[in-house]
Amino acid sequence: MLKVLIVDDSLIIRKKITKNIEKLGHKVIFAAQNGKEAIEAYNAKKPDLVTMDITMPDMDGITAVKSIIKDDPKAKIIMVTSHGQEEMVIKSIQAGAVGYMLKPITEDKLLQSIAEVFPEYAKDEDSEELYLLDDDDF
Amino acid sequence: MILDSLLLQARLFLEEDMEISILNSKQIDISSPQKLVLKNRTSMIGTGGTLNIMLVISFEKNILSKLVENFMEGEEIEDEELDEIEDSVSGEVLNTIVGLSLPTFPNRGKGITITPPISVNDASSIYKHKDSKIICATVQTEYGDIVISAVGSKDQIK
Repeated sequence: MLKVLIVDDSLIIRKKITKNIEKLGHKVIFAAQNGKEAIEAYNAKKPDLVTMDITMPDMDGITAVKSIIKDDPKAKIIMVTSHGQEEMVIKSIQAGAVGYMLKPITEDKLLQSIAEVFPEYAKDEDSEELYLLDDDDF
Repeated sequence: MILDSLLLQARLFLEEDMEISILNSKQIDISSPQKLVLKNRTSMIGTGGTLNIMLVISFEKNILSKLVENFMEGEEIEDEELDEIEDSVSGEVLNTIVGLSLPTFPNRGKGITITPPISVNDASSIYKHKDSKIICATVQTEYGDIVISAVGSKDQIK
């Protein structure tokens, strides 16, 4: 189970990501509303994974990523944004983000993004089939 | 061109992500009114950098309620939280549509920044000034209308 920090200025997106993260079996340890809160929460709680919005008031996501990575180069941060622009993707990756997910958010997109960073949490379809076979045997 | 991009992304978002049907899609009206009459809930995003305009989305009550329902995925909303949730959904829908539209803006949206969305629920209309321009389109859905508009100077609103 991963400890996840969510960063987004939108209340509905914080709720939606929280719900989907928990459905995937992980734990949301804090939901920050801007980059400043994210940095404080990261340093205090040391999450395994951060989902980070780009456009936020007070401090944007890219600035927050730079700060977090400066203190912890191994931080795992996935950008969650509506920006479809290549330059925003490039800036995010240059800042140190390990992944990128376009809104709208779905459980499948989150699962896929998490699996790319933490392969051990990839959906194992083979094991599901095996379980069904075992079930039929009984 | 900007409004075309916004309308395309609005349609994709509503139909594919929210599973909401758009009615009379060929009758989408694009006009340049003297004033923009706002509906029940309205959110705005400003663009900066190489494009300085205001993008506005305004919802009739029922379509926003349906979007809230979809975003909440069956989770109940406390009465005291409803206003904030509706504002948040209104802003997020605009944010998603604008963000995904940027690559199809002039110059593929390079050099354009966008602000976080703000909600304006007390105002009833936006008036055009001498050198400004408003273009807007009404998207008719099975749950009610959404009006998407761009407001700015004549040379930037195309």
